[in-house]
Amino acid sequence: MTGIGIAGWSVLTGVPAKVTELYEEPLPSPTGRAVAGFDVRARLGRKGTGSYDRVTGLAVVCCQDALRDAGTAVDGAARTRIGVALGTTMGSFKSTSDYSRDTLVQERPYLVNPLLFPNTVMNCAAGQVAIRFGLKAVNATIAGGPVAFLNAVRYAGNAIERGYADVMLTGAAEEFTPHRAWASHLTAPPGAFEAGEGAGVFVLTGPRAPSWAGAHRAAEILAVATGYGPGGDPDGRALAGCAERALARARIAPADVAAVVTGEGADADGGEYAPVAWVLGRSPDRVPAGRDAGDCGAATSALGLGALLASGRLDGGGVVLLTARGADGAAGVAVVRGGPDRRGAAGAGADHG
Amino acid sequence: MARVAVTGLGPVSSIGVGRRAFAGALRAGRSGISRITSFDPSGFPHQNAGEVRGFRPDGRLRRLDPRRWGRSSLFAASAARLAAADGGLDPGSLDPGRAHAVIGTTSGESAVAEALTAQIVEHGFAVQDPALLAQVPAGRLANAVSEELGLLGESLTIATACSASNYALGYAYDLLVTGEADVVLAGGADSVCRWAHAGFYRLGALAEHACAPFDRDRSGILTGEGGAVLLLETFDHARVRGARIYAELLGHGLNCDARHPVAPDTASVAECMRLAHRNAGVAPGDVDYICAHGTGTPTNDLVESKAILEVFGDDPPPVSSIKSMIGHTMGAACGFGAIAAVLAVDQGFLPPTINWTTPDPGMPGIDPVPNTARRARPRIAQNDGFAFGGNNAIVMLGAVA
Repeated sequence: MTGIGIAGWSVLTGVPAKVTELYEEPLPSPTGRAVAGFDVRARLGRKGTGSYDRVTGLAVVCCQDALRDAGTAVDGAARTRIGVALGTTMGSFKSTSDYSRDTLVQERPYLVNPLLFPNTVMNCAAGQVAIRFGLKAVNATIAGGPVAFLNAVRYAGNAIERGYADVMLTGAAEEFTPHRAWASHLTAPPGAFEAGEGAGVFVLTGPRAPSWAGAHRAAEILAVATGYGPGGDPDGRALAGCAERALARARIAPADVAAVVTGEGADADGGEYAPVAWVLGRSPDRVPAGRDAGDCGAATSALGLGALLASGRLDGGGVVLLTARGADGAAGVAVVRGGPDRRGAAGAGADHG
Repeated sequence: MARVAVTGLGPVSSIGVGRRAFAGALRAGRSGISRITSFDPSGFPHQNAGEVRGFRPDGRLRRLDPRRWGRSSLFAASAARLAAADGGLDPGSLDPGRAHAVIGTTSGESAVAEALTAQIVEHGFAVQDPALLAQVPAGRLANAVSEELGLLGESLTIATACSASNYALGYAYDLLVTGEADVVLAGGADSVCRWAHAGFYRLGALAEHACAPFDRDRSGILTGEGGAVLLLETFDHARVRGARIYAELLGHGLNCDARHPVAPDTASVAECMRLAHRNAGVAPGDVDYICAHGTGTPTNDLVESKAILEVFGDDPPPVSSIKSMIGHTMGAACGFGAIAAVLAVDQGFLPPTINWTTPDPGMPGIDPVPNTARRARPRIAQNDGFAFGGNNAIVMLGAVA
């Protein structure tokens, strides 16, 4: 994958806040990192949004903002050349579980709402993005938990290079719900991060993108490598291998890497940074994306990339690694370099807050 | 550009496990439909599905501990193990970083999600079993294949609903033709679950007893399950190790209706067929058989037929639906379709559409290969897949010699 550019982007980020008003169901903690005041009707209107679950709303709004940031002209024949690749852990656990719940608690097990049935399927958000903006090219949903965003970037890069699309809206979204909050609470290691939510979407284009795609390049994704390490990749070998391959493909020397943005939840986790630092033979800045975002599942890495673009760290062509690893052993590393056009980075603080 | 060989087939289905059993059942037009046992169906007016009865992964899996993985992951890993064995491939002989797993699914670990939901309903959120919570992420389906076969390359789960395993085969094709891979295990897996049975019933899309695609009186789908994985490798890799090539994966087409969450769109489906033909370098006249999406709902079969007539003209190739036999296996459906298409090309027959009695005047010219498998020599087959979200995906398969 060479020369995939970020023509525009957007993130929706949660902040630590009281979440007890969001749901009737009990939560493991009165605080969580939800996107404050997120109101899909206020952003998109009532038409077509009535059936959206929370993650679908976050994804569609974030895609709209990213397309606007890129200045992509979404009309006519361009619609057949714009695709979508969104990462997830399992779609909306809440939509799925609530549907299953109705089969257990309703007077008859089939008394479920047919209009909400598509929400139980993991491609709901990507499908609704396509419907909202009329995007008719390849439309992919990638399930990979923490690695799903990098998987989606790799999938999207392939789609562009193979000529299936000129633009790929690429990102990930996860929602704050009782289901995810409890899952995080019951399975995360002690002291790890609490559940969060958010979405990050990047308008990816190839080196020969048509002018309607949007002109500026906030940054380039020079390479993405993904892989698998059996048994949970305990020694980080798969992740290290991804870092080696990605750097080689990007033709970037370890000395040129300014920072490593990991999916880790705290400075002390060590599961991602250490293997990558070993490959680099040095210890550049570590930026654990989950420390600020919380456990955002598939969206953690996307939010990390957004925060990176907003930080100005890529200005003047700086190079940063983005890393992710899953519980079973999946791993991924992307090499990101700041673009010549600084508009995306410079405006980010105000536009993307 | 490398060519892509299909060298191993791993069906774990309601009509048979393994290439021989599955091919025999397709030729015999056997039904895998039975009364549901995965959950208590007694409250439902319709109670049939295509379950893989007596599925016990223990005997097939060498590395995975079945207690740690959900049913869909175990379907995927078992199917991958079968495909590797069928292709005579020793995974230990591979360059592991150039061997990848790409698995499609609709609902991932749906049975695990339902078990957790039952715990929530009975005792509340706080008492969910953490071991089950660890099993529920859908990305585990591809991870299970990577883990079982020791593959160190990409481990990718594509969740584009009922076309997902065609998406998986398409991405696998790209990895192989662009030199990123020597070998890819690609396909899909899903499990029968209560919520999908209820949802399709409420959509008015669930048949009572039998699925009868392309029949005038068709009444809907039956849900099904299983794992369907194909062993794909470059021609060079297959030749060096002396593998038998069943068929060639010629290419694929992907697009999105971008109109409606569940209703298919004729023009968009037709365009997907053209994209697949162009990508595979074939013309409509070259196609000898269409392994249909053919869900058996009034709408799908009508839309698919119209799209076929639009692309192929008044005299299209035979179009049959193996969903008449195994039900709608969701994320595995296109994988089973691809396996059937490969068998058709390799063994010289067309799988039938069973349960067919009455022609539909709304789809003139459609030959559904009714009820009985047909001797034929298809050279090029088209495997259709459509999905909720308008996610259309079609792969093209061809004879080698």
